[in-house]
Amino acid sequence: MWRVRPAKLDDLQQILDIAGTQGARLSSTLPKTEHRLAERISHAQASLAAPAPKTPRRILLVLENTETGQIAGTAGIDSRAGNGEPFYNYRRDHLIHASHELGTSRRVEVLYPSHGLTDHTLLCAFSLRPELRETTAFELLSRARMLFIASHRDWFSSRMVVEIQGVQNEDGSVPFWDSLGRHFFNMDFETADQYSGQLSKTFIAELMPPNPIYVTLLSDAAQAAIGQPHRQTQANYELLQQEGFLPGNYLDIFDGGPVLEARTDGLRTLITSHPKTLHGSHDEHGETCLVAAGEGEHFRCLLTPMAETLTDDVKVPVSAWKGLEKSAGDRVRISPL
Amino acid sequence: MLLIRPLQENDLDALYAMAQNAGKGLTTLPADTELLQRKIDRARDSFSQRCAPEAGLYLFALEDTETGRAVGISGIEARVGLEEVFYNYRLSLTVNASRELGVHVRTPTLHLSNDMTDTTEICSLLLADNYKGGGNGLLLSRCRFMFLDEFRKHFSDKVFAEMRGVSDANGQSPLWDALGSKFFDMEFSQADRLSGLGNKSFIAELMPKYPIYLPMLPDSARAVIGRVHDNTLPALKMLEAEGFNFNGMVDIFDGGPVVEAFIHNIRSIRESVNRHAMVVSKPVDLDVPPEQRVMISNRSFRDFRVTTIPVDCIEPDTIRLPRDVADALRVESGDPVRLAPLKDQLRIPHRR
Repeated sequence: MWRVRPAKLDDLQQILDIAGTQGARLSSTLPKTEHRLAERISHAQASLAAPAPKTPRRILLVLENTETGQIAGTAGIDSRAGNGEPFYNYRRDHLIHASHELGTSRRVEVLYPSHGLTDHTLLCAFSLRPELRETTAFELLSRARMLFIASHRDWFSSRMVVEIQGVQNEDGSVPFWDSLGRHFFNMDFETADQYSGQLSKTFIAELMPPNPIYVTLLSDAAQAAIGQPHRQTQANYELLQQEGFLPGNYLDIFDGGPVLEARTDGLRTLITSHPKTLHGSHDEHGETCLVAAGEGEHFRCLLTPMAETLTDDVKVPVSAWKGLEKSAGDRVRISPL
Repeated sequence: MLLIRPLQENDLDALYAMAQNAGKGLTTLPADTELLQRKIDRARDSFSQRCAPEAGLYLFALEDTETGRAVGISGIEARVGLEEVFYNYRLSLTVNASRELGVHVRTPTLHLSNDMTDTTEICSLLLADNYKGGGNGLLLSRCRFMFLDEFRKHFSDKVFAEMRGVSDANGQSPLWDALGSKFFDMEFSQADRLSGLGNKSFIAELMPKYPIYLPMLPDSARAVIGRVHDNTLPALKMLEAEGFNFNGMVDIFDGGPVVEAFIHNIRSIRESVNRHAMVVSKPVDLDVPPEQRVMISNRSFRDFRVTTIPVDCIEPDTIRLPRDVADALRVESGDPVRLAPLKDQLRIPHRR
């Protein structure tokens, strides 16, 4: 059975292995060195225990096979994008250059460096073994984050964002980076990505030019990549849109990928999920649902067939109780697939 | 004899013909009768001091005294950017550095600037093709320094010149194609013409106002920033010899450089000397090569005149002037005159 739970230091090596299958990416990812990743996991564990609700927390969840202990994916939530530092994006905007004298006007597209999304809650660090991309485990991992937010609502902001990976060519080159960021670093995307893993995204972003960029001066390939998701992220992109996320005016400053935005309380999982009391059922029939239970380090989420009763109860096969580490009478939160 | 004098009403036809032959690239003198007439009027008002000193446009004609026809023109704009906004790009540097990343990248950057506002510009130099050579271009250009120095209070301490930038035989400018054309729905020649006609507000309205990072422009465009058109190379050399230097400003359309100098540092001015005229009846052989000639001005504001005379005419205290030269300069014996080198160093006989 696949289940989602908070990451532990024991998961370190397996997480590193998954990161190796995901390709270069500068934004919203996990560190790729053992030392930094260990720090990140420790930080995530500490985040679960922090007492004050407004502390910037960096939650890290993993997708675990309960039979084998294999870790097959990660998903993160930063309660405050930037984690206390400025969070960088480009805001795509327009200026009208109009000449009264010549009677002409022209729409000029400009990318403004922006910290406007700083302190929004950020979904990040999503990775999944390629063979699981087409399975329900994908939806479990992605939406477990929304259930986590629903269960710990006061930890998170009223607005949510998620950065979607932008266009990258087969050879690893990133057209948006090559036309813009590269000039200021003198390094290719992959090298910059390595540094980003060692340091931080903000560290790299602070070296980007502070002035707005005229889109018309970018290469054609870079212009075409603006706001476009990477092919591989298509499923994720669609799932997030079903969840209520929409592309807005923000872009990733490195690869030009879209940034999706949503109101936290308007997310589908938050609206449709309900707390219920756990009861047993002995057959494995019923509608498959997401069910989550526990708080902080005890948070667990999995997929299970389920039958609802007319009262506040929910009937879940006993086999799933173990995964949830709960038993009859405990409170759980359910959401339909 | 070739004589510098203020541009006059009857120079319009000659001026129009010259402007027409010059073709594209000469922003300040388009072949447009109405506009040229306005320039003549402004020059007249400037010399007769009927306009504020800072509004002055001093245009000088090079006249062939045998025909009475203007064969060249040059000018001084007392102050730029007072009525309209004067634009340049300032070529500056953005450095990106991080010790942790081992990054130290220099990015040349263009900033839109009005830094030349309220500065004196030398401009509008044009010489008929069949008069090129023989030091005529030097006379036409350098006479302005004599005027600037003589009447310094009308001008800024610093003087600059915008040099024509690179464009190909079809009038296409690589910088315009890579930058300006993305913001202006027009050809370089049209933009250049509009700018010459004095319609400058369209520049402010349409030009990108944020800095332009040069690595984002194609090589062809970057290569011409701060470079002059081949035809302008001699003019640049001449100004450099006078002590002018590239000041980091470039033309917003074609990327041509701005060169500048402080008036008191200009070589012609540093080497100029004052004397008194002595009109002589003995004929003087005026037909000597440019190396053996010096410029002489009558030091008049309203009727500023300059021509060249052989170095041999310089005496320790006076200048020997044949009658026709004195008449052309409108000076008499005893009147003050000023000398400045035309080509080489001024050779002045020692006082005995």
